[in-house]
Amino acid sequence: MKRWFTPAFLTMLTLLIGIEIIARVFFQSSLSGRFEYGYSPTAGFVENADGTVNLIRAGGRPFWPQKFSMPRPPGMFRVMVIGDSVPRGPSLQASYATQIGEKLRALGIKAESLNLAIGGNGSARSEIILRKALEYEPSLIILHADNGDEYEDEREWKRAQEFKSWHPRNWLMKSDFIRRLYEAKTEQIFWKWIPAQVRLLSDVNDSGNKALAAQNPAMRREWDERARRNTAASIALARARGVPILLLTAAREHSDDHGGLYLDDNGMDDMVRPMLGKGVYFLSMKQILDATNFTAFYTGDGTHLRPAGHALIADAVVKLLLKDKIVAVGK
Amino acid sequence: MSFISWQYALFLPAVMLLYWQLPWRGRIFLLLAASYSFYGAWDARFLALLLTTTVVDYFGALAIAGRRQSALKITCIGLLPLAWLLGCSAFYSAHAVVEKWILIAAAIFPLVYGALYHLLWRLPVEKQRRGFLILSLCSNLSALGFFKYFNFFAGSLESLLAQVGWNPGWTLLHVILPIGISFYTFQSISYAVDVYRGVAKPSEDFFTFAAFVSFFPQLVSGPIERCNDLLPQLQTPARFDVANLHRGLQLILIGLFKKIFVADNCALLTNYVFAPKTHLNGQWALLGVLAFAFQIYGDFSGYTDIARGSARLLGIHLNRNFNFPYYAASPSDFWRRWHMTLSFWFRDYVYIPLGGSRRGLLKTFRNLWITLLLAGLWHGANWTFVLWGGYYAALLTLYHGTPGLRRLAKPEENPRWRLIAGTVLMFAFTLVGWAIFRSDNLQQLLGWFTAFVHWNKGTVDWLHPFYWLLFHVLPLLLLQALTWKSRDEAEVNWIPWPIRGVAYTLLFLLVASSVAPDVEFIYFQF
Repeated sequence: MKRWFTPAFLTMLTLLIGIEIIARVFFQSSLSGRFEYGYSPTAGFVENADGTVNLIRAGGRPFWPQKFSMPRPPGMFRVMVIGDSVPRGPSLQASYATQIGEKLRALGIKAESLNLAIGGNGSARSEIILRKALEYEPSLIILHADNGDEYEDEREWKRAQEFKSWHPRNWLMKSDFIRRLYEAKTEQIFWKWIPAQVRLLSDVNDSGNKALAAQNPAMRREWDERARRNTAASIALARARGVPILLLTAAREHSDDHGGLYLDDNGMDDMVRPMLGKGVYFLSMKQILDATNFTAFYTGDGTHLRPAGHALIADAVVKLLLKDKIVAVGK
Repeated sequence: MSFISWQYALFLPAVMLLYWQLPWRGRIFLLLAASYSFYGAWDARFLALLLTTTVVDYFGALAIAGRRQSALKITCIGLLPLAWLLGCSAFYSAHAVVEKWILIAAAIFPLVYGALYHLLWRLPVEKQRRGFLILSLCSNLSALGFFKYFNFFAGSLESLLAQVGWNPGWTLLHVILPIGISFYTFQSISYAVDVYRGVAKPSEDFFTFAAFVSFFPQLVSGPIERCNDLLPQLQTPARFDVANLHRGLQLILIGLFKKIFVADNCALLTNYVFAPKTHLNGQWALLGVLAFAFQIYGDFSGYTDIARGSARLLGIHLNRNFNFPYYAASPSDFWRRWHMTLSFWFRDYVYIPLGGSRRGLLKTFRNLWITLLLAGLWHGANWTFVLWGGYYAALLTLYHGTPGLRRLAKPEENPRWRLIAGTVLMFAFTLVGWAIFRSDNLQQLLGWFTAFVHWNKGTVDWLHPFYWLLFHVLPLLLLQALTWKSRDEAEVNWIPWPIRGVAYTLLFLLVASSVAPDVEFIYFQF
């Protein structure tokens, strides 16, 4: 009588179970929220026993790695920047979030500035990060307000819902190790080795879908309304905690009919103005950059800023903080 | 239903569990129901065509063997396609309607077939046997010809007439190609011919024969089974053997690896290179055809492994279809290793009946050319496939006519260095063949050749995509190195079990890391 399970099959089973246990026990923090694509309320925040918090790359949250203490040190002015790839910056050092901290400290202010921005995050996912950030006693929240990432938010929400379902097509992905392996291959090999031209042809890059959706006026109205609603909700959350919030509206380069470039805020400045009030401040990227030769501050895509552009924004923020006495020199 | 869909992952275990609980007769009905559900999941209307093929060859083979059936039986069974279509038209939505002319054809079919059947019985025995064989061949080939080639030939003729200034102005029909039609038609033809030749006995039982024609693991993409291999296994009640379960799962895992990890990932590069309006350089042209070589091999041999594994779970052995084809040292060696059941089919039912190599060199070449042009056309209604067949015929002629190359057709008579050199040369020839095969039209093929001779820096990085190709092909080559010793691509049982266990784990993880939305098997379209 032959055995039902061969030794080779049992070896495979043991190895797979072992790998899964190791993944769940030793890599839990980096795996948390992996398939919630930024909708997990805690992914990316690791609270240590010594009272410190690490910001890590976890799930859909590729934070720049940073560390800070959970209760705000006495006298510390803590700034937290939330938004998408623009405030995230080309590096942590170059981002305006970090530069704000440096500039404040140069003025003798005991300050720290944390960059909680994540590429592709729209207003919904930014609001989720804001909720968590408010637990860490910030002195000021800078919300980089934009309505250009609503498509990503919607897509990631659908993906998150899809992976929560117990549909048979998701059974394999219920394994933490397998889904991490899948995403690692996608992020580290597929996106890096396969040129965009090739990906586009294989329908695995949905930038075309995004562009198509953006051409639909009804869709654009829906995205604007969603961005307005979520930004208002974020303001309400900060106000409820008594934390000042600075709305920094995004702006992009566009070319006019004659080939000239101009800055476009995509209606964001007008959208946030009615939301201003006590404890709610406003800065417009368009206004800051319009006064300069702005093309020198943008990267080739016309959306992201070069380090000099980040420095310019940091200067404007610090100036506003001092002018409106949100923070005082020597404090 | 695709082998790599989640539906199949539930379907197969359910069929297997039920299968081993049933007595023999019940298993036949279960196989039939499962096979028709499997095929009908794609488009239930085309089950009527499968039924028609089954009916014609069932009665045809019995008649060839001299067993006359009653008019009532022929009429009742002959009405099955019509009954099925009526059922479809009652339940189907507007986008998949059954057109009236199809219903009329299905209604006329039992009358015409019944009349021909009784007419043929009046002929002397030998003419009668030949008549039934011709009837079977004509009905099978006309269905295949209509659904697969009608628009191709009508369109080609229209273009040809337009060249001489005459526009016939006819409209091409909107004909959907039923998946797997080339495979089950060829299997049915071989059945009728084998019964006619007296090398096989006809099936007395209609349902067993219907299960033979429609056996779901090999229905849509082969292997093309001979009746002497598959029918006896269906006619004899098999006993459950746990070794079959192990082997079946092993084959399915290897098949999934070849399809999902190798083929679908190589397809990314192929699709780019053979897309319209892609500007290529020589590096990309080579990369694209290399990727296609491994894509089509992984896709089709992966399919075959899953088919063999699925059948093995039901205690049924299917034939191998691949035997390390890229290690062939000559074109004839290649065809003995690539899609073996099709190659042997053409050898036994076309090449040898034409005279094979028995009637001198010129006739041998003529037979080779006819066989390979038909084999090319079998793959699809496109001139590139015909050209591909012609290309192989030319290669075979070249190898046959060149003494140094002819020697490579018999690997055992060559020293190792010559075999290696022959294999490298043959692989290069194979790549050119795949460029012809993969091109959508002659213009694209010309574009590929033009790009191939222009090696320059290009605008799109090719080095990282080359790494991508290596990443997905090297594990396959490693697997082949492991299985080389056993001379069976999917035979790993000789490997010590701890290593085999690790290999299973790696294969499983490589598959799991590549799961993507369902990508159809290439050979479904043939």
